[in-house]
Amino acid sequence: MTVESRRRLMNNIALALSSLAALTGLFWLVFILLDVLINGIRGINLSLFLEDPAPPGIQGGGLRNAFVGQLMITLFATLIGVPLGVLGGTFLAEYARGRRISRVISIVSDIMVSVPSIVVGTFVYALMVKPLGHFNGWAGAVALAIIMIPVVLRTTEDMLGMVPWTLREAAFALGAPYYKVILQVVYRGASTGILTGVLLSIARVAGETAPLLFTSFNNSFFTWNMNEPVSSLTVTIFQYAMGPYEDWHTQAWAASLIITLFVLFITILGRLILKWRFGGSAR
Amino acid sequence: MEVQDKELEVRGLNFYYGSVHALKNINLPVYRHSVTALIGPSGCGKTTLLRCFNRMHDLYPGNRYEGEIIFEGKNILSPDIDLIDLRSRIGMVFQKPTPFPMSIFDNIAYGLKLRGIKRRTELSERVERALRHAALWDEVKDKLNEPAYSLSGGQQQRLVIARALAVEPEVLLFDEPTSALDPISTAKIEELAVELKREVTIIIVTHNMQQAARISDWTGFLMLGELIEFDRTDKIFTSPSQKLTEDYITGRFG
Ligand SMILES: Nc1ncnc2c1ncn2[C@@H]1O[C@H](COP(=O)(O)OP(=O)(O)OP(=O)(O)O)[C@@H](O)[C@H]1O
Ligand SMILES: [Mg+2]
Repeated sequence: MTVESRRRLMNNIALALSSLAALTGLFWLVFILLDVLINGIRGINLSLFLEDPAPPGIQGGGLRNAFVGQLMITLFATLIGVPLGVLGGTFLAEYARGRRISRVISIVSDIMVSVPSIVVGTFVYALMVKPLGHFNGWAGAVALAIIMIPVVLRTTEDMLGMVPWTLREAAFALGAPYYKVILQVVYRGASTGILTGVLLSIARVAGETAPLLFTSFNNSFFTWNMNEPVSSLTVTIFQYAMGPYEDWHTQAWAASLIITLFVLFITILGRLILKWRFGGSAR
Repeated sequence: MEVQDKELEVRGLNFYYGSVHALKNINLPVYRHSVTALIGPSGCGKTTLLRCFNRMHDLYPGNRYEGEIIFEGKNILSPDIDLIDLRSRIGMVFQKPTPFPMSIFDNIAYGLKLRGIKRRTELSERVERALRHAALWDEVKDKLNEPAYSLSGGQQQRLVIARALAVEPEVLLFDEPTSALDPISTAKIEELAVELKREVTIIIVTHNMQQAARISDWTGFLMLGELIEFDRTDKIFTSPSQKLTEDYITGRFG
């Protein structure tokens, strides 16, 4: 066999193997999504959104409490996590640029991204549930916020790092103090990138179950009160899927579909913003 | 030319980037309402010297000045100088255009707002004046609310000049302002510099010998952090008194 034909053979084998691997991954992804779609669509109707759960075993009812709870928890998690993440990223990119502390925090934050979310859940449980003696919505929001912070922080740091240094110098040269340079010039230059990071971090936490199981837990009744246990879609899916009733299973499928679509929507929105900003005509 | 006032005077200036001694005992007058060019081979310290005039080096730790730069009777290198005030009186234009990510109008108004000017009518008036000054008004008057990035490179550079002019500085510092531009835009900026010297004093760093000869009244030649020669531009370019200057200008090195 000549060197050349051996190379060609190796190339074809590598190509075949990697294509097979990619197809396997894709197959399961499509399979899962189709499964969720087919099973979920059957359970979607108006009362799913407008009614609270019926007592166990009784037909009908909906998941209004879980939709509202999920939105509340995600909203408060965003309100807590995003400012902290953005400020932290700003500290790293601007005030601590090039210093050792900046490297250390970046690495710690990268580790935080891969900490299993159930660990965050138990941590917040010890901090905000055990001392109070009952599950509550705030604990859920805090747990999700802790998961969001490193994502937002790293995106912010990266995006601020991409703003050319000469732009800051130009603002300084007009006599601007540093905080105004950051607020009025640098943030503006990095805004779409940071927004994308925020959206992706929301998508990241929207599907979390484990940290909520230990914190906001679940509530079969509708509530606006974050001091009580608050229902969420993910925990409800978990509970209903384990339950004995056919009706619960249908609703769990429907909830899965909704949350998948929500994450998909947020992710696509984030990508579109990125493409629109950095695609065709960048600076 | 009549005897001129000095706008700035550099006396015994040494500058250090940490342990790098980048400027060595510079002495140099800058005459009011004239164009002073700084020339010299790459790495000789032109940018470093220029950035001393608005204390840009203060942004980075470890930088150190020695000596004096006198501006209106005061040493602007002294630690108790108000940098915001200094930078509004000594403006700077960089090599690459640096429009802010905001509208054309907001770019020009930026320095004015920093100084507490908020009234819409006054802002509009001064933005227009600055844009006319920088010979950009006719090209942008119908699209003041469009992003500054939508302008061409040459227009962006004139926008940046207008932004610096809006706060009515006494001195403008240019660091190779045309090296990223096409010949037509370059000619416009050069014309503008000559035009502007009626009101402001200009110091310009350039690699382009013809440019220095065309637009400047005075020229300083630097090498390895030292000022080798400073004189009227025509003198420097026709009969320099230093051999090094002559070698550089005739293109024997650099
Ligand atoms: N931040 C810095 N830290 C250390 N040394 C520096 C720094 N900036 C510049 N220098 C050094 O100071 C010297 C002068 O640099 P400067 O940028 O002023 O040169 P220049 O004349 O503007 O060159 P060019 O024509 O290439 O722009 C060079 O030797 C350079 O290596
Ligand atoms: Mg330079």
